[in-house]
Amino acid sequence: MIYLSQLLGNPVLDADGEKVGTVSDLGIATGEVFPRITSLAFMGPGRTPIMISWRKYVETYDEREVRLKVVATDLRFSYLQPDEVLLARDILNKQIVDTHGMRVVRVNDLKLSDTSSTQLRLLGAEVGVRGLLRSLHPALERVVLRLARSFGHPMPEKIIAWSYMDLVERDLSDVKLSVSHKTLDDMHPADIADIIERLDPRLRGQVFAQLDDEQRAGAMAEFDDDAMAVELMGGMNETEASRMLSEMDPDDAAELVSELDYDKAEKLLRLMGVQEQRAIRQLLGYREGTAGRIMTSEVATVSEDATVADAVDMLRGLDEDFETVRYVYLVDGDGKLTGVVTLNSLLVAEKDAPLTELATADLVTAGPEDDQEDVAEDIAKYNLLAMPVVADDGRLLGIVTVDDALDVLEEEHAEDLQIAGGSAEGDDSGHASALIWLVRRNVWVALWALGVLAIVAASALVPAIGGRLPLAQILAAAIPLAVALVLADDAVSYVTNFFLEHDPEDEDSPSAIGFALRGVGIGVVSAALVALIVSALVYVLHELALTGALSAEGIGSLGSALAAGGVAAAVSTFVSFASSPIYLGVLSHRDKTNKETSGFTLSVVAMVVAVVVFTVATVVAASVTGMAV
Amino acid sequence: MEGAGGIAGEKNAGTTARTATDGGAARGGTGATRTHLEPRRILAAMGPGMLAALAGADAGGVATYSNAGAMFGFGQLWTVPVMCFLLIVAQETAARMGCVTGKGFASLIREQFGVRLSAVAMLALLVSNTTVTLSEFAGIASGLALFGVPTYVSVPVAAIAIWLLTMSGSYRRIEKILLAVACVFVTYVVAGIMVGPDWGAALGATAVPQISGDPAYLSLLVANIGTTIAPWMLFLAQSNVVEKNAHAEDLPYQRIDTVTGSVVASIISWFIILTTGAVLFPAGVTVDSAQAAASALAPLVGHYAEALFGAGLVGASFLAACVLPGITSSAICEAFGWERGADRSWAEAPVYRGIITAVIFVSAAVVVLPNVDLFGIMMLAQVINGVLLPVLLVFMVLIASDKHVMGRHANGRVWNALTWAMVVAVAVLTVVMFVMQAMGL
Repeated sequence: MIYLSQLLGNPVLDADGEKVGTVSDLGIATGEVFPRITSLAFMGPGRTPIMISWRKYVETYDEREVRLKVVATDLRFSYLQPDEVLLARDILNKQIVDTHGMRVVRVNDLKLSDTSSTQLRLLGAEVGVRGLLRSLHPALERVVLRLARSFGHPMPEKIIAWSYMDLVERDLSDVKLSVSHKTLDDMHPADIADIIERLDPRLRGQVFAQLDDEQRAGAMAEFDDDAMAVELMGGMNETEASRMLSEMDPDDAAELVSELDYDKAEKLLRLMGVQEQRAIRQLLGYREGTAGRIMTSEVATVSEDATVADAVDMLRGLDEDFETVRYVYLVDGDGKLTGVVTLNSLLVAEKDAPLTELATADLVTAGPEDDQEDVAEDIAKYNLLAMPVVADDGRLLGIVTVDDALDVLEEEHAEDLQIAGGSAEGDDSGHASALIWLVRRNVWVALWALGVLAIVAASALVPAIGGRLPLAQILAAAIPLAVALVLADDAVSYVTNFFLEHDPEDEDSPSAIGFALRGVGIGVVSAALVALIVSALVYVLHELALTGALSAEGIGSLGSALAAGGVAAAVSTFVSFASSPIYLGVLSHRDKTNKETSGFTLSVVAMVVAVVVFTVATVVAASVTGMAV
Repeated sequence: MEGAGGIAGEKNAGTTARTATDGGAARGGTGATRTHLEPRRILAAMGPGMLAALAGADAGGVATYSNAGAMFGFGQLWTVPVMCFLLIVAQETAARMGCVTGKGFASLIREQFGVRLSAVAMLALLVSNTTVTLSEFAGIASGLALFGVPTYVSVPVAAIAIWLLTMSGSYRRIEKILLAVACVFVTYVVAGIMVGPDWGAALGATAVPQISGDPAYLSLLVANIGTTIAPWMLFLAQSNVVEKNAHAEDLPYQRIDTVTGSVVASIISWFIILTTGAVLFPAGVTVDSAQAAASALAPLVGHYAEALFGAGLVGASFLAACVLPGITSSAICEAFGWERGADRSWAEAPVYRGIITAVIFVSAAVVVLPNVDLFGIMMLAQVINGVLLPVLLVFMVLIASDKHVMGRHANGRVWNALTWAMVVAVAVLTVVMFVMQAMGL
């Protein structure tokens, strides 16, 4: 094996052993699975770039030198052919797409075939750490390799074969890749979307422009990031963009169009075919988050008096890119839905059987204004592959398919998780996320510190207390704050749990007033609990003073500080729970307007409120009782 | 490798010529017809330059400028216009490279110079950015010390907060708040006017360079360059342009952003030197702590000076400390082809997250060490920045003047000459500084 990094910079010697230059690059013929090296580029005297045929002139080559068959004067220069690629210029150090592993990687080195044969071939691109180390220095690679092996972690090479490389930088787009080559275009649209998301913005546009309409439409529907999809749309010209929209499923297209600004959307829609345009406009007529918005209007329908043979004929006549058919829907003369026939029953039934015999008349349907989450849950509940969406008068408008329902459920699940205070990413594993979790759970410590600072500031500013207090007193007053903060966090969990469990539109869920009263009740009880705990602490302090374990004077001031803090904590706890209807209101308002809410942010807000209330209450309590000695 | 380019240039001229002008040609058609600038697009392009300008007034910047004023009065005011000009040259080049190629600086270094030289460049960046992050932590520590918060509390808390913010990528949400806090340094402008300095002398000192053979003067000069034209700013400027997907036709707008940002940054630094030069220099105060630096603002705000200065210092340092580890890690991963981005998990991008974590915690750990001189750290970091700057500038000028990469937007002779002059000047200054310090010892 030999690597490109070992050949570059080696001296080129002619038949007489005279040095004619140093190796600068190798050219390959691209039409093979393991491409042959066809030409040698080297830097001649005076830094003149020279290229010659590998097959004609190269005698031997190794890690030290390249020997030519003829003397320098007999060399005939050649030119780069259209199907040739220069390894160092075009591939080494560049970003490529690994179409097998489906990643974007940078080429660290190129692996060539054995030096013993005269036919030198490109085996693949090295994209692992070993290539980096080797390029730094071959000895470094050996040392690290040996170290790794002795620690029981062998470092295999990461090689991508030429046939699985796609060169994303498209100055090479006219290079003909071999027939067996798997390019980006052959990949699944979802994988293409993943890869495009990982590229720099400029490259994204270039790669996207290389795809055909169908691939673009597929990939566009798969982007997680709406802003990115819109930006890619911006990079296309209008005819292309509208052609791509027509190619997409109407529901995906509608989602994308709704992200565009009005003028642009209108312009693109006008350029589309009448039929597709109408389908998208119809979907856009429904509010976001409803069944109407996510349904597709591509439905396989037949008249209710048709036979099995008619239905099969209809299916045969469908467009290639028609939404996958799971059911055939029966409609009457007015377009009203009267029955559903599954594909299975169509397959096993006699040709001339009337469809009404096969149909299920007991239909589960949704209205176009139904909440998408309810529709998705029904699809799961009744084990459907698609649910028909019908208008009030019974007309069939479209279907919500199971894949869209899954997307909805996934989205709602992520939102719920976030409200509950978890992370929406979910796949983040390892110690780091555990640490983040720990910090998130214990953010009250930071807020407690903030509270201490606030009390320090308040004691310095409010004259009633009489100037800065000693640290011990401030800390004593701040002890109950910790309890108040944890309870404020609990108040928010109480609200979020209530929100996640109860749907506000359900009749059997408790009313807002009931919830508010319950909040006040819990507030009173927990405030009493806090007061009880603190008075127990104050009592202990007094007892200590009586037994003479501590000086009475110090205890007295600490006790009054603690008492003031206790009163403040009780007040703050009560406020936290009593304000729970406000948090619930915020949550449901944001949910209605389709905004994401993080439970973490909510609890931080609640705790900040608790700190503020606590500080104010402490100051008031202290100036009433005369905390300062 | 250059040979290969040469071959292509001669024998397959079509391919390379197209490569080079690709960025321009793609939208060139629309660009040519537009003759005047649209105000809306100017606003859209604004941002990166301003951010760099305000984040430039970070811990290290304030320390350096305050020191310059306190030690030499108006003696270093002349550097401000010079630095401003050089900053424009450097930032404009970075933004132009981003616009034309659509690639980050690290990516270009790797593709043009291969693994070995990229390793050198990235090492320089890593060292320089880690020391700057270190100085930001020192800034946070000394800023919060003005409020009575001890270092061993402020630094670990800040480190964890910064780490969480960068890891979750949510620092952008608080970016604006921090920028607003950092605007506190604009008070130097007001303070400078209020103290009523000798304007004639100040303007004269700005126009006429003074050179002193004092080693402290020279090292301050290197620190001054290092903090004004920090390597991380070049990477930030270019990656911002790439993220926005600005094209060659957007260059005029990017230039407006660059120039305004640089001018604003320079005005602030001019007033810091002016204020400290007028207040602290005559009093003979040496700036070795945040209190001393804050006292320059005393004529304006009296005893609120410490609070104001502390808030500004913490805000600017915190902002820069949030940005720096991400830039560093992103550049290194870009150069070596590892996954990067705040939206990648530990499993997907271990190196990216690892580098960020390491930079943050190493810097924090050094600052927490007992008895470290916080202001000394801030100054030292700027000197290291100044020393490493030429390394990255050389890469920049070589790429920017390469017609195969930049096409018709390649550096002109003037720009090339200026950049090389900057490289040589900093290099000479550095050598002289080290020699003098060696002899001084």
